[in-house]
Amino acid sequence: MFVYEKKLQYPIRIKNPNPALAKVIISQFGGPDGELAASMRYLSQRFAMPYADVRGLLTDIGTEELSHLEMVGTIIYQLTRNMKTDQIKKAGFDTYFVDHTAGVYPQFASGTPWTAATIAVKGDPITDLTEDMGAEQKARTTYDNILRLSDDPDVNDVIRFLREREIVHYQRFGEALGNVTDQLNRKNFYVTNPAFDR
Amino acid sequence: MKQCDNKSGMLPECAPLAMSYTPPQQSSEPAYESKVALSRGTLFPGLDLPFMNVVNKPDGLSTPLCELMALDFVVQELKLYLDTHPDDEEAFEALKTCIRMSMEGQRRYAEQYGPISFDDVRFGDTYTWVDAPWPWQHRKEG
Repeated sequence: MFVYEKKLQYPIRIKNPNPALAKVIISQFGGPDGELAASMRYLSQRFAMPYADVRGLLTDIGTEELSHLEMVGTIIYQLTRNMKTDQIKKAGFDTYFVDHTAGVYPQFASGTPWTAATIAVKGDPITDLTEDMGAEQKARTTYDNILRLSDDPDVNDVIRFLREREIVHYQRFGEALGNVTDQLNRKNFYVTNPAFDR
Repeated sequence: MKQCDNKSGMLPECAPLAMSYTPPQQSSEPAYESKVALSRGTLFPGLDLPFMNVVNKPDGLSTPLCELMALDFVVQELKLYLDTHPDDEEAFEALKTCIRMSMEGQRRYAEQYGPISFDDVRFGDTYTWVDAPWPWQHRKEG
C-alpha cells in the first residue's frame, strides 16, 4: 500500500515559464527513460524477485521514482503556467497544447504516449538487475542532455539533483547484483533461473 | 574494514567471467551534513559525481520545509544503503537517530503550517488536508 506525503523530495521554485523547455523535459515524465517508466519497472519487477534484500531495494527505489515523477510533473506544471497563445506558438508548444492545453501528460519529447514497451520485467534476477543498471544510466544521460539544453538555473538545480539520484541508484543496483551472485553457483551463474527453478 | 578511499571499493581479485561487478560502497562514512546532502543529491561524497563538475549550493534550503526534506533525504539515502548493507550497525544507528529527528520535525511543521502526512490532520482545529498548497503549486499561487 502507498501513503502520500504532501511535499516534494526536493524543492522546486521556477520563476520564469518556458514552454519550449517543458516540451523537452516532459520526456523524463513519460518518455522512454523517464520516471514513470522507472517506477513501473522496479515496482513490477519486485513481485517475482526471490531475494528479500532486492525486493526491498526495488520497492524503495521504485517508490523514490514516484516522487521523482511528481517532481518532473511539477517542473512541467510550473514551466507552462500563465502561458499566452503567442508564447505557445513561438515556443513550438502548439502541437502539445492542442491535445493537452496546460495539462501534464506522460509522453516522450517526440509526442509518443508513455508505453510499457520501454520497460522490461524478465523474471530473472540477473537480467532484471542488469536492465535496471542500464535504465539508471539512460536516465542519467537524458538528464545530462537536459542540462546541455537548458539555461534556466531554477530548472537545472532540480535536474542536477535528479541526475545524481540515478548515479546512487546505479550503485545500489550494482551492489544488489553482487549480493545476488554471492548466493549463486560461482562456477556457473546461469545454470538455472533462481526466480523460477526453486 | 575500510581498505580503499571513499571514492573506491574492493573487488574480488579473481572474478568469474560473464558477470559485471560494482565495487560495494565500504562505509556510510564520510557523509555530508543533511542540507548539503540534499543539495548534492546524495549523502555520500564518494558517490557525488556531478556533470561538468557543476554543483548546487545549499543556500536556499533553510526554510522549515526544506529542513524537513533534508532530514527525510538522509533517511532515504541510509535506507537504500542499508538495503544492500543490512549488517552495517553504525548506519542503522544513524538511520534511527535521523528517523526520530524527522518525526519530531514533521510534527512541529504540521502543527504550525499544516499536514504533510494525512495523519497530521489531527494537529489542526479544522480539516486542512485539501486546503493547504499542494507541492507542485508555485509558492506565489499560495
